[in-house]
Amino acid sequence: MKTNEDQTATARGAQSALGSVASDPGYRWGAAFVVLLALPLGVANGYQQYLVDLIMINIVLAVGLNIVKGFAGQVNVGHVALAAIGAYTSAVLSTKFGLPFWVALPFATMATGLVGAIVGVPSFRLEGAYLALATLGLAESVRIFIAVTDYLGASVGYGDIPPPIIAGWRLDSYAAYYYVVMPVAVIGTYIAFSILHSDVGRVFKAIREDTLAAAASGINVRKYKLLAFVISALYAGCAGSLAAHMAPGFIHPDDYNLTRMVIVILMVVAGGLGHVWGGVIGAVLITLVAEWTRSYYQYEFIIFGLIVVLTMMYMPRGIGGYIDRRVAIRRFMALRTGKAAAKAT
Amino acid sequence: MSALLELSGLSKRFGGLVALSNVAMTVGEGEVRGIIGPNGSGKSTLFNLVTGVYPADPGSLVQFRGEDITNREPHEIARRGLARTFQLLRIFAEMTVIENLLVGCHRQVEYPVAAALFGNARVRAAERRLRDEMLDLLDFIGLVDFAEMPAGELSIGQRRLLALGRAMAMKPTLLMLDEPAAGLSPVNVDKLLETVLALKTRYGLTVILVEHVMKLVMASCDVVTVLDHGEKIAEGSPGAVRDDHRVIEAYLGKEMKDAEVRAFLRSD
Repeated sequence: MKTNEDQTATARGAQSALGSVASDPGYRWGAAFVVLLALPLGVANGYQQYLVDLIMINIVLAVGLNIVKGFAGQVNVGHVALAAIGAYTSAVLSTKFGLPFWVALPFATMATGLVGAIVGVPSFRLEGAYLALATLGLAESVRIFIAVTDYLGASVGYGDIPPPIIAGWRLDSYAAYYYVVMPVAVIGTYIAFSILHSDVGRVFKAIREDTLAAAASGINVRKYKLLAFVISALYAGCAGSLAAHMAPGFIHPDDYNLTRMVIVILMVVAGGLGHVWGGVIGAVLITLVAEWTRSYYQYEFIIFGLIVVLTMMYMPRGIGGYIDRRVAIRRFMALRTGKAAAKAT
Repeated sequence: MSALLELSGLSKRFGGLVALSNVAMTVGEGEVRGIIGPNGSGKSTLFNLVTGVYPADPGSLVQFRGEDITNREPHEIARRGLARTFQLLRIFAEMTVIENLLVGCHRQVEYPVAAALFGNARVRAAERRLRDEMLDLLDFIGLVDFAEMPAGELSIGQRRLLALGRAMAMKPTLLMLDEPAAGLSPVNVDKLLETVLALKTRYGLTVILVEHVMKLVMASCDVVTVLDHGEKIAEGSPGAVRDDHRVIEAYLGKEMKDAEVRAFLRSD
């Protein structure tokens, strides 16, 4: 049985773990990075390593979607389409123009950011379901455009995308590629935290909560809505490019269909809208579930449907919101037992 | 006293309904101005036109510190130092109390957006400074113990104080309060009255106040403007306005006797 002191100590531990991310980032981020560097040592085979790489890419995707949806409250059903734009831009640049991965990646990311600005324009006038429909239209047109354009491989898919090369060494194994995607995932998560703890994150949340009150507080609502869409698109473009260059270097328009979009939304919802860690946890869980259920793909949507229903019933704010609540309750209980103890003495 | 806010020909129609018709008003610097009138007399519309929430009809002119701000966007008007609260408060319920105030500090943030993405030492120092300032402000409005609580869990009275605090955080020159005392208990009205008077003396703010609670208006305002059916029907010191027969008619109709009216106006 735990004593009160233990509980207080754990509550404090949890509190400082959360708090230090804001106040003293460098230290803990460095430690986490070192642990992640050693991770491939604990991975049994190539398939597992592939899963880990995929998780890292999905973390970038989910954390990015969380910025526009979770922070700024703007629905974007076109997130996966943005990833497609990143993937195909990167693929074309590296195959048709012979640019190395290290040039194609930032280029594709920037290009997707620009498209993100266009996707964000409907948000000036539309909200909620209407905005979802507008972005959905865009998402599907991107996919269909790719599927009928021979230059982009049409519905056959686009192959022979080269892996990154450092000094003649081709990073085409999943273990080697891990050292490309993992740092990106860590940096992406770090940036999301920085945003959340800065004026920009507060402005995003204010727009989510009440647009008119945000404007009356001197916030240029359009500018910041656009900024949220652009930042989120940068994540999507980056994730798309990373996915394209991963072995076997093949992408297909069906990788970016509505099913994929639902899975990415599920990551963010199950993980917790507006929680950075939630997005990360969601990406890990849903990627694994999606892989494990692949052999029963007919039932895939039953399983995802079940996850949505259970999340909404028992953790409406996702895993991140659930953890937040546990921490808050513990803190409250610790405070109360502390007060009771003070009374007794 | 020089004029801080000058309105002239201010009009607004919603379809066939005339919400505000040709209102002129001048608010001097350092003044506490009350705007009263029965329900539907155009008080809130006046607020919304001045702060750019609705576009005003042609011919309207809003000047703030001598600059034409008619039909500017709300955030542009806010940046010029004109802060407001809303009748329905519109606090950011899912954010903490101190975050609500920090949103009000948006235009005082010194670091650029790019710095916010990478969170350098300068950003952290600026954030700490703003936080300390906001804790002082929370102390002033009496919510310092609730700093880390989600704003949605505050009571209605506390929310009103928070909405006031958020407007204060903008360091405005003109503060427009839309029914700050609605739904407050008499004790809290007294507290609010103290706060409004403190705003005037301590911060030298100009305040415009839409209010139904007469006690607050009579005790805090230098000049009271009375609206009825979208038109200005009277303007003057609280005492003069209280005895104006047009005001009494607007509020209570012609039937009531003067003595009864006075008793009503003084009661709350």
